[in-house]
Amino acid sequence: MHIAVCVKQVPDSTEVKINPETGTLIRAGVPSIINPYDHFALQAAMELKAAHGFRVTVVSMGPPQARSVVQMGLALGADDGVLLSDMAFAGSDTWSTSYALAKAMKKIGKVDIILAGMQAIDGDTAQTGPGIAQQLGIPQVSFCVKVDVDGRKLIVRRLIDGGHEIVETRAPALLTMIMPKDYVSKYPSFPAVHSSLKKPCHTWSAADIGAEAQYLGLKGSPTQVAKIYPPPQREKAAMSGGSSQEAVEKILEILARENFVE
Amino acid sequence: MPSMDAISRNLMLDSLRDYAKKHIPYDLIRDKDQANEFPAEILKDMYDHSILGVHLLLVPEEHGGVSGGTYDIYRICELLAHIDLGIATSVFATFLGTDPLNVGGTEDQKKKWLQRIAKENLMVAYAATEPDAGSDLINLRTRAEHVLKNGQLAGYRITGNKQWISNGGVADLYTVLAMASGGPCWFLVERDMEGFSPGKHEDKHGIRLSNTASLALDGVYVPKENLIGGVEGQGLLQAQAVFGYTRVMVAAFGLGAGWEAVEQAVRYSQQRIQAGGPLSDKQGYMHKLIVPHAVKLEAARAYIEDVANRLDSGEHGLQTEGAIAKYSASEAGNRAADDAIQAFGGYGYTRDFPVEKIKRDIKITCIYEGTSEVLEMTIYRGRWQEHLKTRGRYYLDIADRMDALHDRNPNTGARAAGLALRTLAAVMEECRLQKLTRHQAVTFKLGRLISVCELAYLFAEASAKEKYSESVRFDTQAWQAMARIFARDAAVQLATEGPALVLGAVENAASMASAADMDQVRAVQKGMMEDMDLVAAKLKQTFKAR
Repeated sequence: MHIAVCVKQVPDSTEVKINPETGTLIRAGVPSIINPYDHFALQAAMELKAAHGFRVTVVSMGPPQARSVVQMGLALGADDGVLLSDMAFAGSDTWSTSYALAKAMKKIGKVDIILAGMQAIDGDTAQTGPGIAQQLGIPQVSFCVKVDVDGRKLIVRRLIDGGHEIVETRAPALLTMIMPKDYVSKYPSFPAVHSSLKKPCHTWSAADIGAEAQYLGLKGSPTQVAKIYPPPQREKAAMSGGSSQEAVEKILEILARENFVE
Repeated sequence: MPSMDAISRNLMLDSLRDYAKKHIPYDLIRDKDQANEFPAEILKDMYDHSILGVHLLLVPEEHGGVSGGTYDIYRICELLAHIDLGIATSVFATFLGTDPLNVGGTEDQKKKWLQRIAKENLMVAYAATEPDAGSDLINLRTRAEHVLKNGQLAGYRITGNKQWISNGGVADLYTVLAMASGGPCWFLVERDMEGFSPGKHEDKHGIRLSNTASLALDGVYVPKENLIGGVEGQGLLQAQAVFGYTRVMVAAFGLGAGWEAVEQAVRYSQQRIQAGGPLSDKQGYMHKLIVPHAVKLEAARAYIEDVANRLDSGEHGLQTEGAIAKYSASEAGNRAADDAIQAFGGYGYTRDFPVEKIKRDIKITCIYEGTSEVLEMTIYRGRWQEHLKTRGRYYLDIADRMDALHDRNPNTGARAAGLALRTLAAVMEECRLQKLTRHQAVTFKLGRLISVCELAYLFAEASAKEKYSESVRFDTQAWQAMARIFARDAAVQLATEGPALVLGAVENAASMASAADMDQVRAVQKGMMEDMDLVAAKLKQTFKAR
């Protein structure tokens, strides 16, 4: 079987600052990282590779510097890598991105399992993975924490409210991954990084994957981001001391004053 | 070796950062520091191929390493120093111990030993210093006597004592400097060889996580194949050939540990409320305890990167430059750490906050791989030759370059750097005319003033670049403000200390009245307050309270 893992380079959201005057993100000096959900998807793919000897291809779309996340995938054990990089892709929304990634999957050839992170920590849309499945017309299972493979059958443990469910599907299928509580991320060793340079890593343009310009970039995207702004600051909280009884009475008094209760 | 590609380097940095985050919390470091304990498990992981394999940086690819260049090693050393300078020193000792092999080893020796270092994760120690031979290795007492078999040289019997050897008690392999009949030589000595015994782990002021021990060699027999290079008498040359490069590593230590202290202080200052507001809002606090150190560390960074890039592009030696890099970064880091304690107030004086440990640790960077005083002399010697060779034009030419830079870009402090350089040239020339370098104190001070001027002009040039290197965490506005602050200080320092140096030693030095263009030195001070405020604001933005 052949697994393709979709990874995205994102700004480290713990370091992102918002310019209070313009309300825009300050990207300068913010380190770029591999999207943590994609990092987990990569590790899940490596476990399948170790158990079954599957081939793993790591795929990303982004500016030339996004090659970093592809190389990280290679250093963690993927066999080859693909970076979709072209000015034509710039500004693509989730629909356009999944269109391009689906085109790339077709060019890669026979892909049996596509793994993607549940969502990216920069946009938090959780749409691109499912979008790829839709474009390719294959089944999808979201919020997966564990994948087992038995022949063409995929047995997937997926997270649901209050627990998990076991779902079965058949390859080819797309799974979006979310890390379980006990997950520990793995980083490649120095020699693994060094030897990853010798693995095949392709950069494909829109023309290379046969993507039509009308569906790409800002112009080809059905959604447009009107504005990014920080949520308004909440008003100051009122703290009330004293015993529990006194505190409850005080809260009730405030709720009544603000007409939340009668 | 040229440096590797930026992506690979940054992936390695990420892996090291992640390892430190998960496995080296401050509590662990503090406990090991108090117990004076070598963190063997951590070092084992660092050398483990499947976990990190940091030691492979120094080993060429053909021998199983990753072929790191000087720039790569500088970046890794800086990060190691952020984590803990003791751990950094232990890794560095392997780098250093591997160097005589890299520089002087025969192909067969490299193949055998570098492959063993890479494959068997050997921890290496560099054993040069002796109880009576530190900076002056010429006093070397350890002897290597010929051992003959059938009238042919079969090997050497090494006898002597080594002092302050990093990894001394824990290494698997030692590169030992000893005097043979043909002169000083490096020998490869394995830990289990008969007659070899390491001493106890020293009780040190700082870098207590680094194992430091004396070594006793009592007639240790090594086969002649263990003489590095196979020819006697090459030892000191082999040691000196890498000073440019090894000093860049220690410079990176000063930079990394110094920045760690400054970052901690900046973050703390935003949380600590005094007199109605955070300390970080107090201009005097920031201008005195924080901003000057950030500026000096970034000036040192610009210099270190220049030396690293030059070495990676194939230049050899660069002993003077390596000395300037190490001297400037370690002194800047040491002072930054001292003021970081001050910035933390009483808390900084306790062991609950890392700045107290950083201050103890970082002092070693002013001592090992050449004390600051030896370096001042090295720097003076190197540049004095240039001054003589060019008949005093050396710094005047660079000053002209600075004026041209100022015309192209007036925001880099190039004008002020040019003023400092012209004063330096005048002071050096007067020292020549009056034969003042017969005073050792003059040579030391010249070494210091030379370093200040060289950092000022290289920082101005680096800050004028369209794109900064990956290590710079500030934008153009901030980095150029830092370059201006540094250059203004340099102009003032040279204008005051330069002539004072001469006037203090002679009866009459009329030329010193015009050594510095005081009107210009005063004029370039304009904007200093605004720049200091700007850098303070940028530091707060970059290193937010956690």
